[in-house]
Amino acid sequence: MKRLFDWIIERFIFLCGILAVIFVALIFLFLLREGVSFFGSYSPIKFVGGIYWYPTSDPPQFGIISLIVGSLFVTVLAACLAIPLGVATALFIAEIAPRWLKDVLKTVIELLAAIPSVVIGFIGMVTLVPLVRQALNLPTGLSAFSGALMLGFMALPTIVTISEDAIRTVPWSYKEGAIALGATRWQTMYRIILPAALPGILGAVMLGVGRVIGETMAVMMITGNAAHIPGSVFDPVRTMTATIAAEMGETVRGSPHYEALFAIGLVLFVITFIVNFTADTFLRKARR
Amino acid sequence: MVEKIKVERFTCWYYDVLALQAITLAVHEHEILGIIGPANSGKTSFIRSLNRLNDLNLTFRKQGTVLLDGKDIYAMNPEALRRRVGMVFAMPLSLPMSVYDNVAYGPRRHGRRGKKRLDETVEKALVAASLWDEMKDRLSDSALKLSGGQQQRLCLARTLAVEPEVILFDEPCSGLDPISTAKVEETMLELKQKYTMVLVTNNIKQASRVSDRTAFFLSGELVEIDVPSRLFVTPRDKRTEDYVTGRFG
Ligand SMILES: Nc1ncnc2c1ncn2[C@@H]1O[C@H](COP(=O)(O)OP(=O)(O)OP(=O)(O)O)[C@@H](O)[C@H]1O
Ligand SMILES: [Mg+2]
Repeated sequence: MKRLFDWIIERFIFLCGILAVIFVALIFLFLLREGVSFFGSYSPIKFVGGIYWYPTSDPPQFGIISLIVGSLFVTVLAACLAIPLGVATALFIAEIAPRWLKDVLKTVIELLAAIPSVVIGFIGMVTLVPLVRQALNLPTGLSAFSGALMLGFMALPTIVTISEDAIRTVPWSYKEGAIALGATRWQTMYRIILPAALPGILGAVMLGVGRVIGETMAVMMITGNAAHIPGSVFDPVRTMTATIAAEMGETVRGSPHYEALFAIGLVLFVITFIVNFTADTFLRKARR
Repeated sequence: MVEKIKVERFTCWYYDVLALQAITLAVHEHEILGIIGPANSGKTSFIRSLNRLNDLNLTFRKQGTVLLDGKDIYAMNPEALRRRVGMVFAMPLSLPMSVYDNVAYGPRRHGRRGKKRLDETVEKALVAASLWDEMKDRLSDSALKLSGGQQQRLCLARTLAVEPEVILFDEPCSGLDPISTAKVEETMLELKQKYTMVLVTNNIKQASRVSDRTAFFLSGELVEIDVPSRLFVTPRDKRTEDYVTGRFG
């Protein structure tokens, strides 16, 4: 009886795992199919290397460099803001904050994670955007910078929660061992706890950055959506995700424009895959 | 006899649970003081009070004084104290880094830089912990790959590298086989020339083999302290006799 139960559970878990792989493969195949048929009529080099995104002009131009740069600006800047802040917050919660503050902070941060991105985008649009415009004296506050601030904010809960888990599971004995050698609390955190928690922290960063790369609604509302190569982070930009979301509704199914959006999806997929793969390799090295 | 550490009416609690009750004893310079007693008798609480490691426990409270060379340790900078009073734990827990980095960890934190001087310190510590011959070709291996006995001596080397005056051992051989145990004991006896040591052990035979004096703890009280030849043969207290003859505990 127990054997049978074990057998069933084992198969079930196996099936779930396989299904996840199959779904990802199917999504990839679907993107590939639409993308490839697009590249049949439009040169991939012109697509990835083209500066102009004029999908409705005649003939249409589908150059996504400005979109890639837009995504890059927003993502990198958001990561630069969210990673140090997130890891520091996690360290503070796990190691420094007194019990009551720890509980308060954790609850607040988990609540933050539950706010839908449209709401964050809306709040950003009415509060942050005018603020950025005034504070920096810009023609418009709709910019890569505003988007990155908001996205960094959205990535924080993921980074903090998972990093905090990783930091908390560092064996107490490591800490004690270092303290007993006369290390200060800060030295112990910096030299022992952070390195030991690094794999988990990297995982947290990947998930957080993953959310930033994939985020659509908030960026669409805050970044200004100008499909041109930005001169600085304070210029309006348009990201790949926002392009897909904004234009998908206006395209005719099967048209070159429609297929071009799928091709953007394919590029996104590949980028995300490369980022994850790199992180994974790095993680495996760190674990060794 | 120089009294290296002097403990006076030391009492401590976790929350409101009494763990040690008015302990008064002295640790002489260059001796190995053994501490024996059944589980929960307060042995660990006692030695962790000597390097203020209990400070990490927020529920810990204490009364009474501990003097190191006549100075109140609870009035000292805790990091400076722990540099002078090192500790080897029950579980041989190496830090997750190479053998070399483990030993160099303390000196580095205390501002010792310079490859040559570090190399010397590491070698000296490993030699003193009887680990140099086994480790000299494996310095860059991860310390987590060593055997339990090797890790325990590595922890000792790590402690020695800080050049403490006192070393505390909390059941250092509880997870080790007899040969590794013998090695650790031998090392301790060699270190006596230079260091003052306190050895908590569950193993009565070990206490009689290595300690110069042995203290018997029971329920947070110091029952008796004496040289092993008297404590184990003609104890003054009935409870000590019961314990060392194996009638309880
Ligand atoms: N961190 C702690 N929190 C609460 N109570 C504790 C803590 N550490 C020890 N105690 C309590 O203090 C008393 C003394 O414990 P201690 O660990 O000092 O005994 P011990 O002699 O070292 O025992 P063992 O031989 O099992 O290691 C016990 O009643 C124990 O339950
Ligand atoms: Mg103990």
